[in-house]
This record gives sequence, structure tokens and C-alpha cells, in this order.
Amino acid sequence: MEKTDMLPHKAEVLEIKQETETNLNIKTFKVKFIDNDIRKNFNFKPGQFMMVTVYGLGEAPFGFSSSPTEKDYIEFSVKEVGLVTEALHNLKEGDKIGIRGPFGNGFPLDSTEGKNIIFIGGGIGLAPLRSMINYVLDEKNRDKYQRIQLLNAFRSPEDTLFCDDYQWWENSKDTLVKYTIDEPCEGWSKCVGYPHTLIAEELDYNLPDTRVFTCGPPIMIKFITERLQELGIEPSEIITTLEMRMSCGVGKCGRCNIGHYYVCKDGPVFTLEQLREMPDEY
Amino acid sequence: MMIKKIDKNQFKELFDKLKENYNIAAPVLIDKNKKTLVEYHYIDDFDKIDWDEQADSSPKNIIFPQNAPVGNDYKEKQYYDTEQDTLILGVRSCDIEAIKTLDQVFIEDEMYIDKNYKARRDKITLVGLSCPQRNKSCFCDTLGFNPVESNYAPLYIFKDGNEFWIKVKDKKFESVFENLPDGNQDKLEELIEKRINTFTESSFELDIPIPLPEKEMFEADIWEEMSEKCLGCGICTYYCPTCYCFNFIWEGKDGESTKYKNWDSCMFSTYSAHASGHNPRDSKEKRYRNRIMHKFSYHPLNYEGLGCVGCGRCIDRCPVNLDIREALKLTEKYLEEKGGAKSGKD
Repeated sequence: MEKTDMLPHKAEVLEIKQETETNLNIKTFKVKFIDNDIRKNFNFKPGQFMMVTVYGLGEAPFGFSSSPTEKDYIEFSVKEVGLVTEALHNLKEGDKIGIRGPFGNGFPLDSTEGKNIIFIGGGIGLAPLRSMINYVLDEKNRDKYQRIQLLNAFRSPEDTLFCDDYQWWENSKDTLVKYTIDEPCEGWSKCVGYPHTLIAEELDYNLPDTRVFTCGPPIMIKFITERLQELGIEPSEIITTLEMRMSCGVGKCGRCNIGHYYVCKDGPVFTLEQLREMPDEY
Repeated sequence: MMIKKIDKNQFKELFDKLKENYNIAAPVLIDKNKKTLVEYHYIDDFDKIDWDEQADSSPKNIIFPQNAPVGNDYKEKQYYDTEQDTLILGVRSCDIEAIKTLDQVFIEDEMYIDKNYKARRDKITLVGLSCPQRNKSCFCDTLGFNPVESNYAPLYIFKDGNEFWIKVKDKKFESVFENLPDGNQDKLEELIEKRINTFTESSFELDIPIPLPEKEMFEADIWEEMSEKCLGCGICTYYCPTCYCFNFIWEGKDGESTKYKNWDSCMFSTYSAHASGHNPRDSKEKRYRNRIMHKFSYHPLNYEGLGCVGCGRCIDRCPVNLDIREALKLTEKYLEEKGGAKSGKD
């Protein structure tokens, strides 16, 4: 896709998966570009995002939740919060949407090679992480990375996301997967409590050369990053991805800036080291 | 370079000749219910041009219209709204500098070129106008700009009474002007010299580092006091010749809808509000800080030059008399008390 283009390319909704039902309404959309050339040439990195158009209504940014190793489709997950997300939730399989992108820097895949990785995702924050989790666990890539650990945090058992992936994540080589919910719940035998309270006891956090990727509600990111530093993880090895209101995706419309950085083009992925140098406005 | 000197009648003839090939926009006095305004409009009649007043609104309105169609998303069809070559007559240094800023942002960035802006801009030729005198609120010279001349416009006019000197800086326009009487370069230099001297006394003195130190000024405790009166109406950003924030909106149903690029304003509370309700700039001092910092810190860090050209329109237009010069003086004082600041690039 041309970087100069402000118009989206047409994609078909192949499948809509209802992830959660009650308190949080999250659906995952599996889509593919209609045009074969665009489909073939569309490359993205985990951590990048796209602008999704609901024709005649509006556009909103969504991170890729599928891995770029999946060549036949793209997935993104949507929590219903506003106009565009509501309209997306009302779509049916076979409907058409527009997609612009990919935008942003993405997760640092290359410099993470050879490292131990911890992923800590909270709620819908697991969506962008899933793109990288599925990438590093893909058999073509698995050997490039050391031990991989996941701490997936949800409000309640009803809010769990990407359940279809759990089995293959758990069965992957040298991989530890933990799940936690906020409060005890009947029938739940896994961890309970906010994820920052579980890092020390549930994860092997002190393996040498460990890099942590975290995404979730701002308050969770704050507690996680504080806890990781207490545990001795360097700010340059703590990586998160930010959300902002966006219109253009290329650093022009103005609204997603943090100081002179634009989250859409200089981010959305930042290290804690970078965030500390930036004005505190996100 | 070609220098021509013509009188009003000759200019009028020239104007009528140019009209055959160009749309011509110029500052004209208009009467909006007796509240007279000078604005850039497309005109047919040379006599309508107001050469003497700084226009209330800038030529941004033509180069980057308040709303412009981008295209039809569904049909993947891009729209371009300019077909004919356009001359914008009488653009003063401040506004030329502002257009330079817009060009930097929308066409001189290798990562992204705005096709609609570029298509429009490619058809536009700026005809500069040497500023005859300072207006009550402007301060371009304080910021280091030259009100008397600018090199960014390929054609430049010096009006001296009823006579017009025209500098033709771009060879491609020479054929249009070749039959007009030549002007004496030395005499023109004299005029420029004389005019520069009328600007020697700066409108106000300012000593701040550019870019302003990003984190230090962001954390300064001056913004609440500075923005106390602000109503968040956004008029400063709408009249600002360099403010370029925009938003997309859609008009029409589904497949027939048109995507528009509309001006937006960082002074509006909804501008940065997330759908979730979270808003990183949830108070007016944060929004005011962002506007000032964008112009004097963030823009200079990302591009060359300033995000403010000192035209003073935001000062004239603000309903509660917020004055960007006072904001800058407060910034200067703050940094001075902190013991001399380094610029954001150091």
C-alpha cells in the first residue's frame, strides 16, 4: 500500500468471533483484502496497526492481533466502546470494510532474537501481543528466541480472549503460560490477582537477557512497569504499546502526539526508557 | 532575476492578461454585515484588491481549505479539487513563511506526501508582497523573519504609493512580464533598505531557545496561569496560518459517502479524547501548553523552523485577549529564573 494514500483498500470480513459476552464486548474479525495484489503485497510487523474504515461512518485504529506468518488473512480484535467499534460489531460475515496501513513502528523483533521473552497482557491489551506471540511461537521462528512466558490477565473467566490459542501456546517448546483473573471465582483453578502481583511468584523473571512486552489498561501498565523495575529489569528491556486517538496514521493530523513524538509513526511501541524521556501526557 | 516597475494602470492590464490563464486570489475588503474584514478571495476585478491591510484571515484558507474532499473510500477514488492554475496575490512574509511550514508538513516529508494538498499546491503560485508597516499585534521580525522580503515566493511585489515593483525570481514567469518596463535594481534596493529601517525597532524583545526544551517546559508550572482565561473556542487555531491539525469526516451513506479532511483544533476538548473516555489532554492548560509547545518546541524538533510566524492574528481574534507574546515572555522569564535554558536540541 502506498504510504501516501488516505483512502483504504477494500477487505471482506471472513469470520467474526465473539470473544467475550457479558461485561466486555470483544469480537475478533478475520478479514482479507479483495484485491489479490494488495493481499500479496501487504506486509506488517507485530505491534503495527491499521486504520479500519466502516464505510460512510468513520475510521479507527486497531492493532493486528494475528501474526504476519498467517498469509491468507488478517485479524484484529475490537472492544465495543464508540461509534466505529459499535458499527464494526454490527457487521456480518461477508460485509466489506476498508483498511489503510500498516502504520507505526511495531515490536522490535530482530533485537529480541536470542532473548528470553515475557508477555504480560491485560484484557484487550493481549490483542497486539498475540500478533507477536503467534509470530515467535511459529515453528519457523521459535528457535530464534529463548524461553517464552505469558501472563494473561483478565477481569473474570468470562472475559478471556483467544481461547482457541491456549492449547498450542501451552504445548509450544519451552513455553510457560499463566492466566489470572482479578477476583476468585468458582470453577477457576488458575491464578487470581492483578498481574503485577504475580510476576515474582509465577514467572521466571530473573533469567538472564529477558525482555518484557506488556500491554493493557494504562493503570496496569503503570503497575507492571514499576514492579518490573523493582525486580531489576532494565527500562530498555520493558516494552509497551500505547493507544491514542488518531485520524491520519502518519503523524500529520496532530492528535496523537506525546511531546514531539507521534504515537502513530514514532510508536505505538516504546520502551520504558523512551517513555521516561518523553513528556508525561498519555 | 527580472525587475519590473509598473503603475496601477499597467498592473491592471497585467491582471486582466493573467486572468486568462489563472484563477487569481487576493486580499479583498468584504463587508460581512458591516463588520468589515479583509480576506483572500478569488477575484475578477483588480480594483478590489486591498494592498494596505494585513488580511484578517490567511491564504491558508485557499491552500488548505477548512473542508476539502479527499475521496470516496468505497470506490477507492481520490478527489482533487483544483484544476486551474492559481495565483495568490499579495502574500506577506508571515503568510509565506506559514505556507512554507505547511509545505514542509504535507509535501516535503519523505514518509508521507498528502496527495490532495500537493495537487492543489502544485497549481498555486505565490505572489509575495513586501509589508509596508507593522500591524498592531504582529511580531514576525522578533521571530527572525523578514517582513520586507521573502525568497520563498517566485514573484514578489514592492508597492510604493501607486507604483509596483515586481521581482520575477522564477525564470518560468519571465515571458509573462518581459514587455513591461524594467525597474532599476539600485532604486529598488534603496526602497527595500528604507523599509527595513522602519522595522528596526522590534515589536517586542524575546530571548528564548528554539526549540524550547521539551520536557523542562512541559513540566513548568506556568501553564495554568497562562491559560486561565482560555475558553477553548479554537479561534486562534482557525485564524493561525500554520495550524494544520485536521480530522476526517464522512458525508453521505455507505458506498456513496465522501471522505472530507476538515480543520480540527488542539484547543477542543474532544480532539484527543479516546472512545474509552480517557483523555491525555483533559484540561485547558494541557491543551494550551500543547499549542504553544507545538509551535516553539515540537515543530522545531521535527522540522526546520518555527511553528509560529508572528502574524499576530491569534492575538487580534482571541475573545478573551490571550496574547501569545505574553506566553512567550512568561516562558522567557521562567527559563531565566531557572538559570538559562538549553534548547531542546542540545
